[in-house]
Amino acid sequence: MQKTVRRKRRSGIWPYLLLAPAMIIMLSVVVVPIINAVGMSFQNYNLVKPNKMGWIGLGNYQKLLTNDPQFWKSLWRTVVWVFFGVGGQFLFGFMLALLLNKEFKGRGVIRAVSLIPWVTPGVLIALMWSWMFDGNYGVINDILLKLGIISDKIAFLAKKDSAMPSVIITIIWQGIPFFALMILAGLQGIPADLYEAAAIDGATGWQKLYYVTIPSLRNTIFVTTMLRVIWVANSVDVIFNMTGGGPAYATQTLSVYVYNKASALDMGYASAMALMLMLVLLLVAIPYLRANFRDQEG
Amino acid sequence: MKKFLALALAAMMCLSMVSLASAEDVTIKFWFWADNDAYAQTMQEMIADFNATNGKGITVVGEQQDWNGGEYSNNLLTAAIGGGAPDVATFKLTATPAFVNNGQLANLDEFIANWADKDQINENLYNTMKQASGTDSIYVMPWNTQVLYVYYRPSMFKAAGIGVPTTYEEFLEACKKLTHDGVYGFGMRGSNGGQEPWGCFLYAGGGDWEHMDSEGAIKGMQDYIDLYKNGYVPETAPNDGFSQVIDNFKSGLTAMTIHHIGSSAQMIETFGDDVDAFIFPKGEGQWTSMGDTETVMFESCANKEAAFEWMAYLATGKGQETWCTVTGNVPVAARVQALPQFQENKFMKVSIEGAPVAGILPVRDTTTQWIKDWPGVIQQALLGDITAEECMKQLQAAMWEE
Repeated sequence: MQKTVRRKRRSGIWPYLLLAPAMIIMLSVVVVPIINAVGMSFQNYNLVKPNKMGWIGLGNYQKLLTNDPQFWKSLWRTVVWVFFGVGGQFLFGFMLALLLNKEFKGRGVIRAVSLIPWVTPGVLIALMWSWMFDGNYGVINDILLKLGIISDKIAFLAKKDSAMPSVIITIIWQGIPFFALMILAGLQGIPADLYEAAAIDGATGWQKLYYVTIPSLRNTIFVTTMLRVIWVANSVDVIFNMTGGGPAYATQTLSVYVYNKASALDMGYASAMALMLMLVLLLVAIPYLRANFRDQEG
Repeated sequence: MKKFLALALAAMMCLSMVSLASAEDVTIKFWFWADNDAYAQTMQEMIADFNATNGKGITVVGEQQDWNGGEYSNNLLTAAIGGGAPDVATFKLTATPAFVNNGQLANLDEFIANWADKDQINENLYNTMKQASGTDSIYVMPWNTQVLYVYYRPSMFKAAGIGVPTTYEEFLEACKKLTHDGVYGFGMRGSNGGQEPWGCFLYAGGGDWEHMDSEGAIKGMQDYIDLYKNGYVPETAPNDGFSQVIDNFKSGLTAMTIHHIGSSAQMIETFGDDVDAFIFPKGEGQWTSMGDTETVMFESCANKEAAFEWMAYLATGKGQETWCTVTGNVPVAARVQALPQFQENKFMKVSIEGAPVAGILPVRDTTTQWIKDWPGVIQQALLGDITAEECMKQLQAAMWEE
C-alpha cells in the first residue's frame, strides 16, 4: 500500500520535473522579457537620460495616443504594409503552389529553386532589391527605360509614392515560397476522389478550385495567413535596410518606428508602442483563431 | 596503473600551476570599427605589433564592430549596461553624455596627468573632451580627427569653365553650372549621417547649432532644398547615405561631394590626379564638421594601467603613426603631425586649413535622438511636406527643448 502511494507521489512530481527545463526556458526568454517590456512602458526609461528615469504611469501611452501623429500614421502604414504584403504573398504563393502541384518535367528543380527567397536572410534580400530599385544604377530602371515604359529614371526608394510599393514588392517576393510550400502540402492532402466526383458532376476547372480546393485548404490558409500577418507586421529588416523608414517617414511602419525609438535608447516609449502593436495584432488574431477553432470543433 | 594515473594527475597539476603563473599576463578586450576591410586589417596588425612589443605582458584582443550609421555607440552602451563592456573601445564624442551619465567610463585624469606624452596633444583637444562630458574631467582620449571638406573633380570644373568656389554663393553657382548631361553638381546626403555636411549650409546661410530657427539658418535650409528641387543633386538624395554619396562621386555621377580624408585613398585610386578638395566656403558664417574618433576605457575594466598603455600606443605611439598613415586621418600627436607623409599630403593640408572652423554637434542628452530624427525631418522638407522654416523649428526644438 505504502509502495503504491509513493509511486503515485513520484509519478505526480515527474511530469513537472520533466516539463521544468522547457518551462524555465520559456519563462526566461518569453515571459520575463514581456513583463519587463510592460514595466518599461510605464516608465520614463531612456538610457541616454538615466537621471530622469522613473515611473510615469500612462504617460508614454498618453503621449503616443494623443501627442504623436507619427504613431497613428505608422499604424496606418502597418495596415497597408500587411494587407498588400501578405495579400500579394498569398496570391502568388497560391498560384505557385497550384503550378508546382502539376506534373511537369523539372518540377523538383523548380520546387527547390522557388524556396530561395524564403531561405535568404532578410538583410540580404533588402540589399539586393535596393540595388535593383536604385534610382541611378538599378536594373529595374534600366529595363523600364529600354522597354520605353519610362523616359527618365525613377528614384523608387527616394520618392514617397514609390517607396512603399517598392518595399511591399520585396516582402511579397520573400514570402511567396512560404505560402507556396504550405499550400502545396495542403493540396497534396486533398483526396483525388473529390475531384473525380466533381468531374462526374461536370464541374469546370474554376468550379473545382472554388468548391473543392479552397474549402479543403481552409485551415492551411487560416494558419499560414495568421502567421504571416504577425511576422510581416513585426518585420523590420527589409524596410530598415531599404529605406530606414523614409523618405519622410513614407515607409515607417509601427515596428520600424519602435526599432528607431529603441535604437535611440528611448526604451520606455518604444516598449509602449511595441505593446500597442501587440494589442492590435491580438485584436486581429483572437477572433480569427476563435472562428477557426470553432469551425474545426463544429 | 594507479601509479601511472597518480603521476599523470601530478603532472597536470604542475602544468596548471605553470599556466597560473603566466596568467599574470593581462588581456585587454578592445572594440573598434573600421571603414573598410583594409583598415580592419591594419588595426589587427597594430594590435599584433603592440602585443609583441609592449614588454609588459599585455595582450590586446581586437573585436571589429560595425559602425552602421552610428548604431555602434548604442550597441556599445547597451552592451556596457548589460555587463558586457569591452575594456577599451573606439568612440565618438557625441556619445559621451549617455556613457558618463550612466557611469560607464573610467576617469582618465590621473592617467593623463602622469603620462609622459601628455603634451604631445594640444590642450584645446583635452578641453573639448572635458566639455563633452559636461564635467571638469577627461573620460575620452583623443585619437584622430577628420575634417569634412568638399571633394571635387578638377576636370569637370575646367569643362564648366569655373574655378574653386571661394564664397558660398560661388559654391551654389558651381552646383548649377556643373549639372549637365547626367552629371549632378553636388552629391547630397539626405539620409543617416547627413547632418554633418548639412551643418556647412546651416552656418553658410547665417545660422548656428544654437539658433537653428534663425532667419539665416532657414535661408541655409532653403538653399539646401533648392539644390534638390532644381535638380542639381541626384533625385535619390533624400535616401542617399554614406556609401551612395561616395559611389556617386566615384562613378562620375556627381562633381562634388562632402566627406573627409578617410576616403582620400580610394578617391586617388579611382581618379589619380583628377580629384582635389577645398573647405566648404564661407557665407554668412562658416563651419565644418570635425569628425572625431577617440578611445575610452570602461569603469568595469579590471586592468586599467594596461588598458591605458594600449590607449597611449594609439594616441601618441606607433599606433598613431600607422593608423593615420593608412587611413589618412589627421593625427593628434604633434610628433606624428610633423612627419613628411602628413606635411606633403594635399588632403591633409585642406584638413588642417579647415581645422579653425571645424567643430562638433552640440553634445547634449538630446543629441542621440536628434541625430535619429534628422533624416526624417530633412526628407520632409526636401520632398515638400514642410517648409524650410517648419523644418528648422522642428530641429531646433528637438535639440534644445528640455
